[in-house]
Formats: sequence, C-alpha cells, structure tokens
Amino acid sequence: MTPLALWRRQILTIVSLEWKKTLFARRGLWVFALAFLPALLIYLSALNLRNHRDELQRILLNNPTAAATTANIQIGMPFDRVSSILTGANLNFTTITRANRRTIIRYSDGVSSWDLIFVNGKLTDRTDRSLPALNDRIRQFAAIFQYFFLRLAIFFGCVGIFINLFRGEMLDQSLHHYLLAPVRRDVLLIGKYLSGLFSTILLFGSSTALQFFFLLYAYPGPESASYMATNGWSHFFNYLGVTALACVGYGSVFLASGIVLRNPLIPATIILFWEASNWFLPELLKKFSIIYYLQALCPVVAPISPDVPDAFKMLVTAAASIPTPLAILGILIISTAVLALAALSIRKLEINYSSD
Amino acid sequence: MSSSLITFDDVSRFYGEVLGVNRVTLNIPPGITSLVGPNGSGKTTLMNLMTGLVRPTSGAISVCGISPYDPQNLFRILGYCTQFDSFPSGYTGFQFVLSSLLLHGLDRQTAEQKAWQAIAKVNLLDAAKRKIAAYSKGMRQRIRLAQSIAHDPQILILDEPLNGLDPLVRSETIALFREVAARGAHVIVSSHVLHEVDMISDQVILLANGYVVAEGAIRGVRDEISDRPHQIVIRCDKPSLLASRLFAHDFIVEARLHPDRLGLLIQTTNLSQFHKLINRLALDGITIESITPADDDVNSLYQYLISEEGTSK
Repeated sequence: MTPLALWRRQILTIVSLEWKKTLFARRGLWVFALAFLPALLIYLSALNLRNHRDELQRILLNNPTAAATTANIQIGMPFDRVSSILTGANLNFTTITRANRRTIIRYSDGVSSWDLIFVNGKLTDRTDRSLPALNDRIRQFAAIFQYFFLRLAIFFGCVGIFINLFRGEMLDQSLHHYLLAPVRRDVLLIGKYLSGLFSTILLFGSSTALQFFFLLYAYPGPESASYMATNGWSHFFNYLGVTALACVGYGSVFLASGIVLRNPLIPATIILFWEASNWFLPELLKKFSIIYYLQALCPVVAPISPDVPDAFKMLVTAAASIPTPLAILGILIISTAVLALAALSIRKLEINYSSD
Repeated sequence: MSSSLITFDDVSRFYGEVLGVNRVTLNIPPGITSLVGPNGSGKTTLMNLMTGLVRPTSGAISVCGISPYDPQNLFRILGYCTQFDSFPSGYTGFQFVLSSLLLHGLDRQTAEQKAWQAIAKVNLLDAAKRKIAAYSKGMRQRIRLAQSIAHDPQILILDEPLNGLDPLVRSETIALFREVAARGAHVIVSSHVLHEVDMISDQVILLANGYVVAEGAIRGVRDEISDRPHQIVIRCDKPSLLASRLFAHDFIVEARLHPDRLGLLIQTTNLSQFHKLINRLALDGITIESITPADDDVNSLYQYLISEEGTSK
C-alpha cells in the first residue's frame, strides 16, 4: 500500500471512529442547543406570523368595510371618539394603560394591525403593526445569521467541539490509544479535524437549512415562490457555504488551541475579542480574522437597528467587501496555516495525564 | 529491523524539577526483560520514552533502529499495554481491539479476524461484545493486552501487566509472554511481583530513584555484587563435618546448619574458590546431594541493590 493510500485509509478510519463520539459527546450537548436556538426562534416567529395573517383574513371576511371605516381616525382625536368609531365598525380592540397617562388601543381591521397611542386622552401616534414583508424578514434573517449565528453560535460551537478533539481526550485519559497506533501524528490531526468538521457542518448546516425553511414558512404562496425563483436558492446555498466555511475556519483555530492550551476559555476569549475588534484593526491585520471573510461572503447586508448602542454598532459593522473567490481563499489559507502550526505542535505532544 | 537492540544512550528525563530517569544507558536484547523498582523509580518513564509518549530531556533512544517519534513505523512492530485504565467511551472489547487494527490500515475482514484471535488469546471471547465499562479490572487488563498483541508485534511492552489478574489468568498470561519471547521478540515487563519476574525474566533492569542500578541476566547481576557474600544451600549427609572443614578457609564467612539438619547455609566471598573446595571435600567422603544458590533471584537483588539504596538515602 502506498503511503498516500495508507494515510487516506487511516484518515477515513479516524473519521468513522470519531464523528459520532464528537457529535454526541456528553460535554458537547449544549452545542446542539446553541445550533438550533435560532431555528427554534425563527420557527416560533413564523408560527406567530401565520396566526396573525389568519386572524387578519378572518376579520376581513367578517367585516370587509372595517379598514375603510377606521381610516377616519385622525391624530388629535379624543379617546372616547376613537373607541366609538371602532365600536361602530364592529371591531374588537384591547386597551392597554401605561404610566405617564399613556393609553394604547390595539386592533386589527382585516388589512393591518394598529397601535393607537393616546397621551392625556388625545391620539398622538398611530403605529402600523402589519406583517413585515418577506424582504424585511430576509434582512432580519441576515442580521440573525451574521450577528448571532456566525459570531456566537458557530464560534462557540466550534470551541465546544474542536477544542475537545484533543483536550477532551486528554481529560478522559484516552488519547494515548491514538498515539500508540501506527499513525503519523499529522495524519491523526487531519483525521480528527475532518471528523470535527463533518460533525459541525452537519449540525450547523442543518440548523441553517431549518432557519431558512422556517423563514419562508411564514410566507406561504406566491411571495416565497417568487423569492425562490429569483434569489432564494442562491441565498440558501450561499448561507450553507458560509456556515461550512465558518466551521472550517473556527474549527482549525480551536483544534490548534486544544492542542497548545489547557484552558479553552483563554483562546475562546482572545479570539472572540480579536474577531469582534476586526473593525478597528489595520487593513493588514483584518486579513487574519475569520469573520472578515465570512461577512464578505454573506449574500445579504445585515441591517443594524438605530436603537443599537454605538459601541455595539462598531463591533458588528461589516468588513469591507472582498471578491468571493478571494474570501474563500482567505479562509482556506488561514485554516491551512493554523493546521500546519498545530501539526508541528502535535509532533511534540506528550502524554502526561497527571498534569492535565 | 536494522538492529535487534533497544538502546538508550545517556537518556535523562525531568518533569520540571522532578527527576524521571537520569543518565540511562541501556542495550536491551530480545527476550523477556523485566524492569524492577519501587514506585517512582522510573519504570513507566522508561517505557513511555521507548514509545515516544514522552521525550527525553537529553540523550537518544532507538527501538530496533526506529526512532520513537516515527509512530507509523514504530507501532507496526511494537505493542504497548499501558497502565492507563481508561478507554474510548462506549466501546465494546471487540470494538476496542478492532479500532486499533483498523488504524494499522488493515481491511475490515483481516482486522476482525486478527481482533478475534487476540481476544481468544487472552480468554475474553465471551465478554468481547460487552461494553468495556462493564468489565472488571482484570478483564480491562486483558483487553488492553489483547489490543497490544493483536498485530503480532516484535516488541511487546507491558506496564504492570499482571495487576488485577487472578492466579489462573496470571499463569496463562505469563505463558503468553513466553510464547511471544520464544519467537525472538522483545518482551519488556515492569512488575512489582518479584517472584513472577524471577520466573519469567531472561534479564532484569533494576531501577531506583530514576537511576539504573543494575542490568543483565539475574545471575550475572548477582555475580557483580562483590560487597555481598554469596549465599548457598548445600544438601549433604554430614553437615556438621562439612561445616568444620569449610570454616578452615577465610573466604567462608558463615556456615549455618539448616533447620532440618540435612544441610548448610553458606556465605562465601569467593564463589569459584568455594566450588573448588566443595569438589575436593566431595572426594573426601562427604556426599553432596545438591548445591543451590540462595540469593541469585530478583528478590535478593532487589533487597541488595534497591532496598539498601532506599534506606541509605
């Protein structure tokens, strides 16, 4: 057997031995929660939107002129007058009383949902609580994906999975089984890395797919179909690709950290700070950050709410745009360089469980 | 293999400021070699150095011409049964041995066949499909042994391999070591159980406080301890007469009548002179039934070399 064939077989053996152990390790169960939390939230939100839409349709069916009647409601009207218009239009509404003599009337007219805000008994504001359009939801999804999923969920998921590939086995005192096999240590490193990659891509990739599915679940019918016919599939595969590249990049960094450092909190904190402070780094240093490339690859620019504090806004500002092939190449180069350093380090790794 | 020796060339290993082993120079030939010494004497460190699990602070090691840092070649010919009593979680005994063989690059069918053969050798066939977590200590020891012999290694390193084994399994395991050594392999065993070491060893390496205090065949090591008189038991028909004849010579330090009055326990500082003398006395009408060394076993060596060192420090 040629060395290459042997290494390929050994790598496949390591992946087949490791991936289930990696994915279902007791100390890694919280990673599942982290991965699927956004999918759960988007699903709950989609359910809420669908219920809201059903409610509007029911009102429209029962009271088709309600929207026209309530269009007469004007700013400055007293509370009693507004409530009599709504009663006259045969609409159900709820009244919420707040501090500072503020009262809110909440109702739906079959076309939209409204909040009427009264101060000292006079209507001062009228807020449309209608369903967000799919385009708005796509931008919201981009924000969730970039600010939570990439920067926190995949980041910490990779901390949990990749650091434990070696450090976890040190703690379990079982790493020597691999080190006593006729396997080059760099081959072992690649095998372990690929098993971690397989597990994280499976986990976070399926979460990305679910999130995307639930995003569209709130918009059944032509709106979703039209989106999928234009940019939808491209966005979907783009998000899956970014998810996979995030696992490639963060996985390599945390695998190396697990070999070199004993306490996973130290590299996690340092790298989180490094990634978060990407915005103020000089152009050259930005290129040594994973998020710099990942954000450039995201298909939709994530909006930042004006309510977000300035300090936080700076931390989540997208990096400068980079051509897609260069961004992919950037992540692959960083990952390869980090893995090469890890391979040098693992050659000198000693088994001394008592000190771990 | 380009060489049949395992060599340590002036090897030292420190754990921070703690001494593991110091200035060890050894040439270990094939056969059964026992590493003997109290806890902390450096036995496991020597084994870990041979297998590349730890690196020397200074010096060089070669295992039959292969560097310990070349696992791909080293572990094709070497099996190491460590003292670490931990296993990959969720594995059965069979999966544990099989996974190790698959890492050798064997195809699944061959690996399964070899795994079953190794498990049969350690008499664990009935429990092979059970999770290791449910094994007793002795069973865990045996499955580790099965894993270390499964690929028919030329060098077998065993760290306290008889720990936790019942007497029957002990004797079977010792027979297995002998079988491996009989085909020209190295079997390197560390043990605290001195009479077992004595039974199985072709040579011993005695360690104390990280230093090699003696090495070689047990008899050879004993002969080199010149400051201790040799103890010999002589069975004969006239022990009192023999004692009086022996006392006439200054190389006889002590001659005590055996409690059963059918022999003498002799201490002599010159073994060759003693044997010549005995030959002459036998011709003078004393019937000598047997002459047996009483202190060329590992236990005595241990007492002479290690216990004294321990007490002197």
